[in-house]
Amino acid sequence: MSASIEIAGVSKIYDGGVRAVDTIEIDIRQGEFFSLLGPSGCGKTTTLRIIAGFESPSDGAIRIDGADITHVPAHKRDMGMVFQNYALFPHRTVAENVAFGLRMRGIDKQAIAAKVKAALAMVELSGLEDRRPAQLSGGQQQRVALARAIVIEPRVLLCDEPLGALDKKLRQQMQFELKQLQKTLGLTLVFVTHDQEEALAMSDRIAVMNCGRVEQIGTPVEIYDQPLTRFVADFIGDTNIFRGERVTSDAGPALAAGHGLFLALPASAAGTSLLSVALRPEKISLSSGDTETAAAASGARGTIESTNFLGGAVLYHIALDSGHRVLAQQPNAGAVFVPGRTVKLDWKAADLVVLKD
Amino acid sequence: MAVARTNGLALLLLPSALLFALFFFVPIGLMAVMSLLTGNPVVAANVAFTARHYLRIVNDPYYLEVIWTTIRIGLWTTLISLLIGYPLAHWMARIRSRAGHAALLMAVLAPMLTGVVVRTFAWMALLSDKGVINQILASLGLTTKPVQLMYNETGIVVGLVHIYVPFMVLTLTGVIGRIDERLEQAAESLGASPLRSFLEVTLPLSLPGILAGSLLVFALSISAYVTPILLGGFQIMTLPILIYQQISANFNIGFAAALGMVLLLVSLLLIVAYNRVLGLVSGQHELQ
Repeated sequence: MSASIEIAGVSKIYDGGVRAVDTIEIDIRQGEFFSLLGPSGCGKTTTLRIIAGFESPSDGAIRIDGADITHVPAHKRDMGMVFQNYALFPHRTVAENVAFGLRMRGIDKQAIAAKVKAALAMVELSGLEDRRPAQLSGGQQQRVALARAIVIEPRVLLCDEPLGALDKKLRQQMQFELKQLQKTLGLTLVFVTHDQEEALAMSDRIAVMNCGRVEQIGTPVEIYDQPLTRFVADFIGDTNIFRGERVTSDAGPALAAGHGLFLALPASAAGTSLLSVALRPEKISLSSGDTETAAAASGARGTIESTNFLGGAVLYHIALDSGHRVLAQQPNAGAVFVPGRTVKLDWKAADLVVLKD
Repeated sequence: MAVARTNGLALLLLPSALLFALFFFVPIGLMAVMSLLTGNPVVAANVAFTARHYLRIVNDPYYLEVIWTTIRIGLWTTLISLLIGYPLAHWMARIRSRAGHAALLMAVLAPMLTGVVVRTFAWMALLSDKGVINQILASLGLTTKPVQLMYNETGIVVGLVHIYVPFMVLTLTGVIGRIDERLEQAAESLGASPLRSFLEVTLPLSLPGILAGSLLVFALSISAYVTPILLGGFQIMTLPILIYQQISANFNIGFAAALGMVLLLVSLLLIVAYNRVLGLVSGQHELQ
């Protein structure tokens, strides 16, 4: 039922010469939850609209299950779409909204009624058939939009920041439900979002986009742990980025980050003389610094500037003796370092990720 | 503080309230009274109340025919303005380029900068027996006799449509512009062809604009005077022409007032009907 999508060298250049999307190559597998993630204006929504057929690409092709659909109009593509503002028909009831796609397919009335009922039950909206969209809460409208899109059993479900307008608690619930629904139905789902937590939590794979280009495609773990570029490292989660020259010391390759800070690089870190490395805050462990930990492969000393208590964890802003400012996150184990306190920071050289600029 | 400020602001309403009272309610009230009097109380000595002006309208088929002609011209003008105006308004509401929008707006508004009389004379030059259209038709050998395009209702409707179509376009553009384009896209993603999406989504949602624009054009066309008189050449009698005749030629102010009340009544009935229909189509989602 659901299909794979191939975005082959697609570009979109607007009249003014603006490259909204720049030669994008993405293969979305059948039954995959695929996210297009990036800041606003990165071209993710344009890419989705090109897949949906609302925009035609200036260059490149869109293929679905191998068949070229670049010039197939939107209404013949058999794709469900959930819009950011839901785009429910205000002059029709909930049931009529959900039935719309089925009616367009010329299905007989009894079958429509049964399918609408099943779809509304699936999104837990039974009993609200005769309401108008304006009489529903945001979360309910979101469910109607979802029911309307999946009831036609689309080959691909496209979602344009569908959860953006919901409050946090409801958003997390809907994230879970959408993911469940996608798995149960085996849907190929393309999900556009600027919320990196949402993308990490829900996706099978993510394409991180910036300025119309794809920076990296990978699983959430790959994207988080092995960011390829400085942009990806910076955009996904908190991170510490050090930039400097690659030097070779007795112990192996190291990065001279300036002001006397040397970071031991992983043995695999080859490459140019000038490079950037990323280090996730939670990969740093803090100790009081009173007892020398001899085993530490790499580390530095610093002073706590401020602490953010996150509940399950504590985020420290630390000024290193070299002047660099870093973030370090520790699980909340009871003892919290107070600002002004001198600490020792330790990390494994292998946790440093060398970035492409 | 708050009370004083409210009162101060309320004073700003005074000029418009006075204007309305003096130049709207008083004249209409006077007209209503006049339509029920036997003569003009300013010049005649003994005047009495009477219903004879209204009875005359109701009992003489000629006047009923005039009323019906007026309404018929209004309906045709409205219908044609809608058919011409809707596509234009849709285009204007959806056009992306600012320059394109400005050009369309100018094209719609430019005719309004010229007087009605001038535009009507221009139509006479086009539509008359020896006018541009008939000469072209004859020179192409399509017609042997001139086709009568004016001094009939066709000519009047052509002229009125030209004058009132901007009102239709501007009213509709506002309403269509407020319809979210994503609704049409949602319909298309669900399998509706662009035409189907228009019929199922855009058209029903623009109904308030269609009604408002139609009401405006209809009310303006049934009260038009210059265009029916010039393009109708006194061959076609409408209510405003009749009223003018009664005042200027027959000095029958009471009867003219009664005819004026009929014209007002037609418009009022229409506004009531408009509110009803609007309530029916959009009432439920006003609830919220």
